[in-house]
Amino acid sequence: MKKILSIRELPIFAVFILFYVTAGLGNHQIFTSSGLHDILFGSSIVAMLAVAETLIIVMKHIDLSVGSVIGFSSYLMGKNSAEGHGLLFCLLIGIAFGLGVGALNGLLVAYFRLPSLVVTLATLYLVRGYFSQVAGGDFINSGQVPKALTYMADHTFIKIPFLFIVAFVLALVVGHFMHNARSGRDLYAIGSNHPAASLAGISVARRTFWAFTAAGGISGAAGAVLLARYGQAQANSGLGIELNVVAACVVGGVAIAGGVGTVYGAIIGAVLLQTIVLALGALGVSQFWQGVVNGILLIAAISLDKLLSMRSQRTQIMRRTQA
Amino acid sequence: MNTTMSKYRPNVTWDKGVGILLIVTVIFGWIASPDFATTSNLGFILQDIGEFLIIALPMTFLIIAGEIDLSVASTLSLSSSTMGYAYRSGINFNVAIIIGILVAVACGVLNGFLVNYLGLQSLAVTIGTLGLFRGLCFVLLGNQPVNQLPTFWSNLGTNSIPHTFLPWSVVIIIPAVAIAWIILHRTRYGRWTYLTGISAEAANFSGIPVKQFKFSLFVITGFMCGLAALVYTLRFASASPDSAMGYELSVIAAVLFGGVSIAGGFGTMWGVLFSVLELGVIRSVLQLINFTANALQMVSGALLLFSVALPRLIGMLKTRREARVRKSVTSLTSSRSV
Repeated sequence: MKKILSIRELPIFAVFILFYVTAGLGNHQIFTSSGLHDILFGSSIVAMLAVAETLIIVMKHIDLSVGSVIGFSSYLMGKNSAEGHGLLFCLLIGIAFGLGVGALNGLLVAYFRLPSLVVTLATLYLVRGYFSQVAGGDFINSGQVPKALTYMADHTFIKIPFLFIVAFVLALVVGHFMHNARSGRDLYAIGSNHPAASLAGISVARRTFWAFTAAGGISGAAGAVLLARYGQAQANSGLGIELNVVAACVVGGVAIAGGVGTVYGAIIGAVLLQTIVLALGALGVSQFWQGVVNGILLIAAISLDKLLSMRSQRTQIMRRTQA
Repeated sequence: MNTTMSKYRPNVTWDKGVGILLIVTVIFGWIASPDFATTSNLGFILQDIGEFLIIALPMTFLIIAGEIDLSVASTLSLSSSTMGYAYRSGINFNVAIIIGILVAVACGVLNGFLVNYLGLQSLAVTIGTLGLFRGLCFVLLGNQPVNQLPTFWSNLGTNSIPHTFLPWSVVIIIPAVAIAWIILHRTRYGRWTYLTGISAEAANFSGIPVKQFKFSLFVITGFMCGLAALVYTLRFASASPDSAMGYELSVIAAVLFGGVSIAGGFGTMWGVLFSVLELGVIRSVLQLINFTANALQMVSGALLLFSVALPRLIGMLKTRREARVRKSVTSLTSSRSV
């Protein structure tokens, strides 16, 4: 029981339940399967990107280029599909593009030891600028989106939208990797103490490089989800989503200071942020309050985290002095 | 031989490099377009970078001190929205301006409190307040921007100072830049900024009131966002809830391109000033030779990347060469001893 109570993601899950129930009491529509469907469907994109971002934030780095990558990837997939290429080819193009940008980020951060915030801010502009140049006023409409993606957006599996299942399965895989694989554990070690990780024989540069590459690949793949969800792609697809993604991670207990947090928390964070949107609507509160509630929630989450860590530190010191 | 050679190598640091780049760009613009080197175009450029430069100044202090503020654009927008809201509800616009600036200061106080007195990470906190302040803009104004400002004020935003080509915003910009330069490079407060950025712990032990100091930086940032909000509101003669969307990252990019280290402790006001001017001039040149805004995004991304990668590359080559020299020296001495 104690073990369950000490799970890091528990408070945020409780907040999610709280919001969900309050919203449901205000409007019973929320409790129906369509209410849950809307929440999960709406959060699938940020959830998927949050999984990628978790890999990075856990290492005490940050990746701001995800918004540009997902946008351009979705456009590339739509464009290739419009030109008559098959689904698999489109997916591969998008993922390969994501991997490429991720590898560039990784190369500059890991081997040139440049600060990740600057590097990914630069790639954000580079990719977005090139994207706008290529796309121009071009518009990929729903007819040009691959049929399989449209099908996935419109259908559910035991009432859960397919797009969310994609994000969830991805989280399971990445979560398993980060929890059990040695290279996954290394990411936490790098984030909590970089010099110590290096002294312990972890090849920090290689791990960092591959984590950035993987995050780029996931963002590229998430382009398919973006394309499916909106059924369209244009020059401003995915614009400005990066800070939402970081917010979802932080709300979900992935600390900016590195070394703690899980992808499951990040996913719950993404779902929670989406729940607020619906809850406000259901309670008849104007949608304009959404940003306010999101901001307060984020600040509350990090304050609570700080409080808990300070308390656990104090009990540790007390235990040590007693012994 | 090697030492005498390096003695004559000019000492070019990145901030001066940006200055040289600015001169090169101006010369290129001069040649490329007859409309570039006109006084009216210079006025446009100054008009264009106004609020941007005003926010970049305190951001320079914050980043040198090892902190960051992502909520600046939202603070600007909230301040502007407050001005609009107060004016719409019948308050005199002069008073509305003061209320707007006070709101911006309050935003800075909130950020400073959360970061320094609760000990939270500024990156995470200001992502939160970014959403919070932007949300409040929409709560205040809804979807309707306030467009009917007093003509006296909106004329200030669009007209230039009589008998000159300078926009009225220089009345704020020039003193602000001068004061920021003096404070950063000529006062104790400025030295504190660097020391806090290099090591907050060392700064604390040497008697600097780090918490209060950083708190004041956030408050000043809020105040400057309020001034920027005034310039922005007058320039577009409108207070709208989605003002300055996405500015936070461009301001940070400009500051970093000016040679300020994101790790804290390094950077100069010259570098940032040159960098903001350079971005304004590039935008103007690109527009004059018929490039789109997309090209500007790519150029600023590439410049940002160069600004960090180039010094690192030079540093890497230098250490490699030094290692080689050391190796040859040791092999020389060891061969002698044999």
